[in-house]
Amino acid sequence: MNRKLVSALLAGAMVTGLLAGCGSSGSGSTAASTAPASEAAASEAAPASEAAPADVDYGSGDIKVWVADNVVDFTNQQVAAFKEANPQFAGWNVSVEPVGEGDAAGNMITDVEAGADIYGFAQDQIARLVSAGALEEVAPENVEAVKSQNDAGSVGAATVGGTLYAYPLTSDNGYFLYYDKSVVTDPSDLDQILADCEAAGKNFYMEINSGWYQTAFFFGTGCNLSYETDDAGNFTSANVDYASDKGVVAMKEMIRLQSSPAFQNGSAAGEATNLAAIVDGTWDSATVQELFGENYACAKLPSFTGSDGQTYQMSGFGGFKLLGVKPQQDENKLAVCDALAAYLSGEEVQLARYDAVGWGPSNMNAQQSDAVKADVALSALAEQLQYTIPQGQYPGDYWSLATGLGDDVRQGNLTTDSTDEEILAVLQTFQDTCISYAG
Amino acid sequence: MARVHGSKIKKPWTRILGENLAEIGATVATGDWKTKVSCLILGFGPIMRGQVAKGLIFLLLEVAFIAYMAGFGAEYLSKFSTLGTVATQKVGRKTVYGDNSFLILLFGILTIIIIALFILVWRMNLRENYVEEKLLKEGKHLPANRKFLASFLDENFDKTLLALPCLGIFVFTVLPIIFMICVAFTNYDKNHQSPTNLFTWVGLANFRSLFSFGSNGFGSTFLTVLLWTLIWAFFATFIDYFLGLAVALLINKKGIKFKKLWRTILVLTIAVPQFVSLLYIMKMFGNDGIVNGYLMKWGWISSPIPFWTNPTLAKVMIVVINIWVGIPYMMLIATGLLMNIPEDLYESARMDGANPVQMFFKITLPYMLFVTGPFLLTSFTGNLNNFNVIYLLTQGRPQSVKLTGNAGYTDLLVTWLYKMTVNDTNYKMAAVIGIMVFLVTAVVSLVVYNMLPSVKDEEGFQ
Amino acid sequence: MKEKNTGSMSRNRAISNFFAYIVLVLISIIWLFPFFGLIMQSFRSYKSEYGGMVDYIVPKRFSLDNYRFLFTKETNFTQWYLNTVIIAVAVAILQTIIVLCVSYALSRMRFKGRELLMRFWLILGMFPGFLTMICLYFLLKQLGLTQAGAVPGLILVNVASCGMGYYVCKGYFDTIPKALDEAARIDGATRAQIFIQMIIPLSKPIVIYTALVAFMAPWCDYIFASYVAFGHDKSYNVAVAMTRWVWTNDYQGYFTRFCAGGILVAVPVTILFMCLQKYYVEGVTGGAVKG
Repeated sequence: MNRKLVSALLAGAMVTGLLAGCGSSGSGSTAASTAPASEAAASEAAPASEAAPADVDYGSGDIKVWVADNVVDFTNQQVAAFKEANPQFAGWNVSVEPVGEGDAAGNMITDVEAGADIYGFAQDQIARLVSAGALEEVAPENVEAVKSQNDAGSVGAATVGGTLYAYPLTSDNGYFLYYDKSVVTDPSDLDQILADCEAAGKNFYMEINSGWYQTAFFFGTGCNLSYETDDAGNFTSANVDYASDKGVVAMKEMIRLQSSPAFQNGSAAGEATNLAAIVDGTWDSATVQELFGENYACAKLPSFTGSDGQTYQMSGFGGFKLLGVKPQQDENKLAVCDALAAYLSGEEVQLARYDAVGWGPSNMNAQQSDAVKADVALSALAEQLQYTIPQGQYPGDYWSLATGLGDDVRQGNLTTDSTDEEILAVLQTFQDTCISYAG
Repeated sequence: MARVHGSKIKKPWTRILGENLAEIGATVATGDWKTKVSCLILGFGPIMRGQVAKGLIFLLLEVAFIAYMAGFGAEYLSKFSTLGTVATQKVGRKTVYGDNSFLILLFGILTIIIIALFILVWRMNLRENYVEEKLLKEGKHLPANRKFLASFLDENFDKTLLALPCLGIFVFTVLPIIFMICVAFTNYDKNHQSPTNLFTWVGLANFRSLFSFGSNGFGSTFLTVLLWTLIWAFFATFIDYFLGLAVALLINKKGIKFKKLWRTILVLTIAVPQFVSLLYIMKMFGNDGIVNGYLMKWGWISSPIPFWTNPTLAKVMIVVINIWVGIPYMMLIATGLLMNIPEDLYESARMDGANPVQMFFKITLPYMLFVTGPFLLTSFTGNLNNFNVIYLLTQGRPQSVKLTGNAGYTDLLVTWLYKMTVNDTNYKMAAVIGIMVFLVTAVVSLVVYNMLPSVKDEEGFQ
Repeated sequence: MKEKNTGSMSRNRAISNFFAYIVLVLISIIWLFPFFGLIMQSFRSYKSEYGGMVDYIVPKRFSLDNYRFLFTKETNFTQWYLNTVIIAVAVAILQTIIVLCVSYALSRMRFKGRELLMRFWLILGMFPGFLTMICLYFLLKQLGLTQAGAVPGLILVNVASCGMGYYVCKGYFDTIPKALDEAARIDGATRAQIFIQMIIPLSKPIVIYTALVAFMAPWCDYIFASYVAFGHDKSYNVAVAMTRWVWTNDYQGYFTRFCAGGILVAVPVTILFMCLQKYYVEGVTGGAVKG
């Protein structure tokens, strides 16, 4: 070999060796993770059983919390209140970082160790998080309370294979119709909405290339799409019938919608131009209110007359935001995290959060409060809720597949001229791929 | 040994090995006791012969090696064949992590490399003994320690200069690349993620799934993406090249004033960070962006033009916008080079009655192509991997049910790789795609490089 | 030559120049339009007007609300900006030093394995950079240089492998006559002295070019930076933090604020670039010819 090159590399190797040595002794987690678990288990079994007494020393350290940017300040206040009420946790320093629900799951899965100890996420991510080992089961002492105080849909969303994995935070992760009273005359009919928008030269927004909004059509015509999961969060079977007459009707309605000059694809009110109506969630209520001013109004989703002449009420997902706790190597820390997560998802904090940023509570007592009941957007959502299907677990691939399906409509691969056979062929591909994600 | 590679004659490696073994045998057999001890205690011989600096370096390397292996390397190496067997488990409510396959793989590779390097050190140590003994036998003096150290600022200055860069490249480029190549042969994905789950070797399974053409295989998607990657790189390179040349000629045209102003305006696209300019342009052409907004306001169109959602239109848009990004570079380069074309070439052409168009095709273009051949090659391979333009504009979208693995119609292999890593944590397939990108780049480079006129004929244009 | 031209030729030239000017003006408009739009949108108030997308360019009322927002406590914009400046300056300095060292060694010294090393690096360069992201992340994590330590971590990663980008600089060194070195060596100068006292002062353009290119890259690095710093808002750089304002649904109506931030990022970088443009042109042109 070559001597000069080798000597350069050797110098490198030596320093690397030293660095690597430092690295291993420096970060405790590495060392711990390479130690055989059985050994560690044996030595830890004893203290685990005697951790029950009330005035235990909970130790100290850092707890990281990830929430959406607009509730960072709110969460900081609540954390301060929590620590004041629970002086036994004083040793723990809680830091709140703005990581949105969209990014949280991805980041947690990239590196569980560096991820947050407590984090908010949208329920569709729960299966992924469980199988990546990024979610701890809800503490046994909290399970009963969580199940009894929150609405059934949100508890179902936080459950994977019979085990409760997260604390419900909101029950507002669904969508309904916002509209401008001065433009839209009849919000209960999709054709009328489009006609009104076209007449006024304004836009109707709905994100048809999202697996989340798309289901408004498919579930509306009576299609099914759901998955079964085992305890570890793996998908075992799929129940889907998109490739059917009902699916074709739904698909044709999407194509017809796409062909309207007033239609725009999108679900972000903040990004919309020339807006007259939008299918969106409560998180945008402030934005829409600002846009429409006095003409601000909300309603359940409209119905449409399908290509087969029947009238269908648009359906869709009812969704939830959840608060998760990551598996911990330290039982004391886990106890503190559980207590904090339970607190942050409790009735009072949910109400306070509604007051601060308008997130609709999942807690049933909070839902009955006057303020929540008077909210126009939340009322519309509640009205829509009877037509929706509580969102279960879906594989991550489903969402991008659905985007593909919507994009096929938007690109004009499928148009109003497409035959039923062509549409059925696309739906068949979609259905087969959906099924292939399970098992 | 070392001599062989540097010289032009290539010997087969078996012969090199044989010669080395013979020399090792001879050194040990005929050497004095100091040399023999050096086989175990590295640097012992040189230290005893007064070469303290050299000897200490060898000794230190040995100590470092032993410390590394004992405290760190051996443990990882022993698990390398399985990538860990101890699963994560729960003790009470606490999680006790088992083996971390990721770290086992990473440090296993590092350990293997370090062992190989140590064998080389050992070999160098023996050769040093051999040389010293030979010099002493011939009655010559060994160089003083000070002189040995000083040589690192003079005749051995290259070692000083290259030590740190080579170390950096080894740790942050070579090691990770070997690691990722190994990942392509494991099942490391979202269901087998460290530290919670173990992953292990799976042989060629991932490559098989890349070339499987079933409804769910990666085969057809891979070919679609690969084809678009090549088409994109071709257009992005040559359109920019010729338009850039044209703009440079235009600005350099006799009688055009404010040359500097025109250039400065164009160069703005290089100066402004792309995440600002390209994201703005992406928004500009969105369905709700100002371009569609104005067109509709003026009544030219009734519904927005789907710039980013129609696959063909999106591809065209990307190429067009890349012109906006790419022309200025070429313009700058061409401006500099055009001035280098000897004026008398044009003068004599003019004498022969050539018109400007003829002069362009007979003189300017051949000269530019000749001189910028390597640039064209590097910009072609650069465009194969042009992440920013694609990702900032479309993120690879639009998608379709016809494409697997979350690929979109405007995805290049690299953006697909990136999305697999970040969105799907499908590391095994990302690694396979990465290897494919390497193969494509290497093949293109090799083929084109050998076609370049400036390589074929060094004297060429002069 | 002009005086030799006939009247018709100069008229032809005038006409062709006229068209050339039209083309140039058109090009300029196309090239400047996005920047014009960017500047205009940055003055549209997110408070009193609207912070999202609109279908007009010139705001109804000019306001500095977006800029004011960037300096309030609501964002860590100043921190992100500072991070980026630190990374850019550190990378510019260290990378220049390393590239100079490597280029000198490869241009001036003839050692065994030189060819092999260059070929090896060339092959390494053919692997896509994103391939190794996950590995680099965990390497940095072993050193404690992710999340809270992301800024030094990013500097390390940027600098560590920069030795492979020696082409332009080595090409420049190759043009400095070797006779200079020989003369100095006869006078008893060591290699190190020649490098530091003679070659570097002669290489001002390429030093500036290398530093400029190194300085500009971190401003646009959102890929690896977001991967290393995730979950720690204070160690984001501007690119990571601000692309969220465009891509993430959590930040609706942040578009004008993105524009304002973009202007604040672009202006200093652009001014610096324009001042040093001469060296940049020299570097790219030389690099293009050498490949």
